[in-house]
Amino acid sequence: MDAPPDISTPPANNSAHSKFHTFVQIAMTLSVITGIEIVLVYLPFAKWLIVSTLVILSAVKFLFVIFYFMHLRWDKVFCTILFFIGLILAMGTVAALLALFGAEASAPLTSQIMDLTRSQA
Amino acid sequence: MSHATTIDHHHDASTATGIPNKKLFMWAFLASDCMFFGALISTHLIYRLHPPPGSPSPRQIFSIELTSFSTFILLMSSLLMALAVNAIQKGHLRSTRHNLLGTIFFGLIFLGCQVFEFSHFVHEKGLTLSNSIFGSTFFTLTGTHGCHVAIGVLWLILTYIRSFKPADADAGRPWLGRAFAHFLVFAVTIVASMTCVLGFFDAHEAHQSLGVFASQHILALGATVVGLFTLAGFGRSKVPVEFGEANAIDVEGMGLYWHFVDIVWIVIFTAVYLLEYL
Repeated sequence: MDAPPDISTPPANNSAHSKFHTFVQIAMTLSVITGIEIVLVYLPFAKWLIVSTLVILSAVKFLFVIFYFMHLRWDKVFCTILFFIGLILAMGTVAALLALFGAEASAPLTSQIMDLTRSQA
Repeated sequence: MSHATTIDHHHDASTATGIPNKKLFMWAFLASDCMFFGALISTHLIYRLHPPPGSPSPRQIFSIELTSFSTFILLMSSLLMALAVNAIQKGHLRSTRHNLLGTIFFGLIFLGCQVFEFSHFVHEKGLTLSNSIFGSTFFTLTGTHGCHVAIGVLWLILTYIRSFKPADADAGRPWLGRAFAHFLVFAVTIVASMTCVLGFFDAHEAHQSLGVFASQHILALGATVVGLFTLAGFGRSKVPVEFGEANAIDVEGMGLYWHFVDIVWIVIFTAVYLLEYL
């Protein structure tokens, strides 16, 4: 009696085909998200809401690219850890610098303020 | 030709980490490049938080249509790069070459858009690298990203040319000469075609006729046509090559770099361009 065909593992060609479709679908998703971002900045919503949505949408695009196009999803987790060390350090630097220089006290002196300070001295 | 079941492209048992060394190096480099771009992006944003008096208004300078088009082009180039890696991992050399050429083409469109944008900003809008803090931080950030794209295009071209290296070791020295000629033709074709395209847009803005444009760019047009035919001739080589599935890690490393350039642009597009429209 012949052994039944193994249907648990799909043929290699089929899996390759599905990866091709995954990449195309992700590219289309990224294009749609980009379109939404462009439309969003013209909508009359609260500024904080638009900024938050833009940050979230950019993060989604970012994650799609690194996990699918850059294969992190299929690679060893150490690659993810290594990249995220650099990414978190960079994000921390950006956040710290923006917090420091975004403060009112960090605003650069204008010529009017400098004249006022001189006259008071 | 395909040996899909013989090579595991995500793991390498011969290294201590189980990750191919070339891939590990590339991820470490990209992690450091994150910090590099983080510093440039934060510098730009800090000066945007407190613009000095008389600072130009970015909204009146930027062209959201052009930047959106560039973003779409870079996303599509990322798709082609992912497909090139996918193809070489299955040993499909022809498909790999086509996808590499597509990625090079889209990368060049992005660079062309950036050259056009910079030229427009300098000559039409009066924004230069040194006449305002905004100009300094903007050109430094986007220019550095553009340099990354240019390096990526160069890398793609070199990999494409390398994919024609003959399997016969004795043919090594003649192949070097042929590869150099191949590269030279690529360089001439790219410069000539860029000159034609940018010249066409200039002529369009100046309301010049096609005849005037053609007569002014006859040399560049001729070099583009001859270059394209020569490249097609190089591409028709039927000699057995050594480039195959075993080189997938090289293409993947280059792909990682190219996708990184894409994700940096995702951040720049939002932080530098879109936020100015709020």
